[in-house]
Amino acid sequence: MKTTSAFLLGAGLLLAPLAQAALAPEADNAGLTLPPGFRAIIVADKLKSLRNLTVAPNGDIYAKTRQDGIYALRDTDGDGRADLVKEFGSGGGTGIAVHNGWLYHSTDSNIYRYKLIPGELVPGGEPERIVRDLPNRRQHAAKAFAFGADGRLYVEVGSPSNAYGGAKDRAPGAKGEDPTEFLKTFGGYWSFDPDKPDQTQADGIHFSTGHRHSTTIALHPVSKQLFVAIHGRDQLNTVAPQFFTDDDNAENPAEVLHALTKGADFGWPFTYWDPRAKQRKLNPEYGGDGKKLAEPGKYPDPLIGFPAHWAPMQLAFNPGAQFPAKYRHGGFLAFHGSWNRAPRPQRGFNVVFIPCDDKGWPTGDWEVFADNFAGKTEIASPGDARHRPNGVAFGPDGSLYISDSQAGRIWRIIYTGGQ
Amino acid sequence: MRVIAGFFLVFVLAACSKPEPVAPVAPVRTSASPAATPAPGDPVSAGPAPDGAALFAATCATCHMADGSGVPFLQPSIKGSAWISNPDPQPLLSLILRGSAVLGEAAQAYDNDMAPQEHLTDAEIAAIATYVRTRFAATPVEKPVTAEEATLARSRPGLP
Repeated sequence: MKTTSAFLLGAGLLLAPLAQAALAPEADNAGLTLPPGFRAIIVADKLKSLRNLTVAPNGDIYAKTRQDGIYALRDTDGDGRADLVKEFGSGGGTGIAVHNGWLYHSTDSNIYRYKLIPGELVPGGEPERIVRDLPNRRQHAAKAFAFGADGRLYVEVGSPSNAYGGAKDRAPGAKGEDPTEFLKTFGGYWSFDPDKPDQTQADGIHFSTGHRHSTTIALHPVSKQLFVAIHGRDQLNTVAPQFFTDDDNAENPAEVLHALTKGADFGWPFTYWDPRAKQRKLNPEYGGDGKKLAEPGKYPDPLIGFPAHWAPMQLAFNPGAQFPAKYRHGGFLAFHGSWNRAPRPQRGFNVVFIPCDDKGWPTGDWEVFADNFAGKTEIASPGDARHRPNGVAFGPDGSLYISDSQAGRIWRIIYTGGQ
Repeated sequence: MRVIAGFFLVFVLAACSKPEPVAPVAPVRTSASPAATPAPGDPVSAGPAPDGAALFAATCATCHMADGSGVPFLQPSIKGSAWISNPDPQPLLSLILRGSAVLGEAAQAYDNDMAPQEHLTDAEIAAIATYVRTRFAATPVEKPVTAEEATLARSRPGLP
């Protein structure tokens, strides 16, 4: 305990200006592996399966549950652990964000907002529905959203499909169909007025197209650019075993990071990004054989091609208040962990750091920031993982919060320096 | 049955001279169905019975996982599944053949749909059913599922 006390004293001195002298990290960082000088605190544990996170300017935390309401959490005594945990609302879903004094959230069909009341942890009253009746066919139905520099609300509608392989999608010999009509309402981002109730998809501006599913979109604080992470396709070796080995499938295609620009077409369902060859290739549903390349220049190269199947869930940019300079304005992306690498071990289950340059643009590098959420290195099935990272959000003091879909845990990551 | 089997053997031998329409053979895959695969829909296969464990690994484990545990919210666990534990194999055979379309409202519990597996032969479907009944039923069902039972399931639309 002497060591712990000395450590806490050190942490207290460092964080004193932030009035968090009593922050009490877990002795072993709760089993997480973090870079030197970082510490983890368990904010809350054993909640329902958690999706995305947001933190209000006063430090209150809001976490979406996948199937039920929203958790509101508040640390009243400054030790980092939530003393008040309330669940409110219903409908499940994925997206959540505080914006201009409102708490916005998404179910798989609608975008709602609650007015935040100063001092009140739980917003009162019924939510206002901003966007209604978005397409929802269960598969890839999560509705990620964010607010652009133009103030508009950008909302994702995923593709309820693997590679648009028709009735045999995900089965051997799946043949791609013409997605023109499908992509008019699926596989893109649409922007809306964030204050106007009951808009439909037809009221939105169709902003980008040609992606499979994206569960996160985030605005960079310096470049004011929106960035999205996209989940790549599954089961290359199932659909076309004559061209793709188990290893080819385990390592293809990349999970990708792109800048979201007006009119962008990210190449789904025709193509995928091979992260090892760093090339865009044709999907087997559209004549690909693991070698044939997509038409050059037709679709943008990703800013980063992450390992296959890791499942990028939520991206947050570091506002820069607490972590060392290296991490200032960089991205933090939670990976849920794979299920489609079998018979190879499943991978992911971590939070990666994405360095950004002075202009607020990803440099193309990335590294694992927080790991060992799974609790072991050899995972055959995602159900074996102790925790699966899902949400990431920064608090007003620059702490990083991470949510867990597996065991309902929320961590707070702080920088104390030292070892 | 002997007469029927003999008939089908002749049928299969006759079919061997025609090109096989699907079921591509991947030379590098070790987990795929063993040896020559008859054309889909053939009630029985020539040669040794298909290896249910290998077929499960190649066809089912991708989504349901090698240990049958599934993936939370995306694909169900099949451990102790009522479909697999049912002594009557017909519902299970229909589910394998036609995918989650036969589940109706119950399919809403998971995000992903199960693709039909009608490209597999009846002998392969039977081998998979036999394997999962032995391994994942609440009480292991040792009675093998026959290719003829799969033929019957294929001949009837929807659930029995």
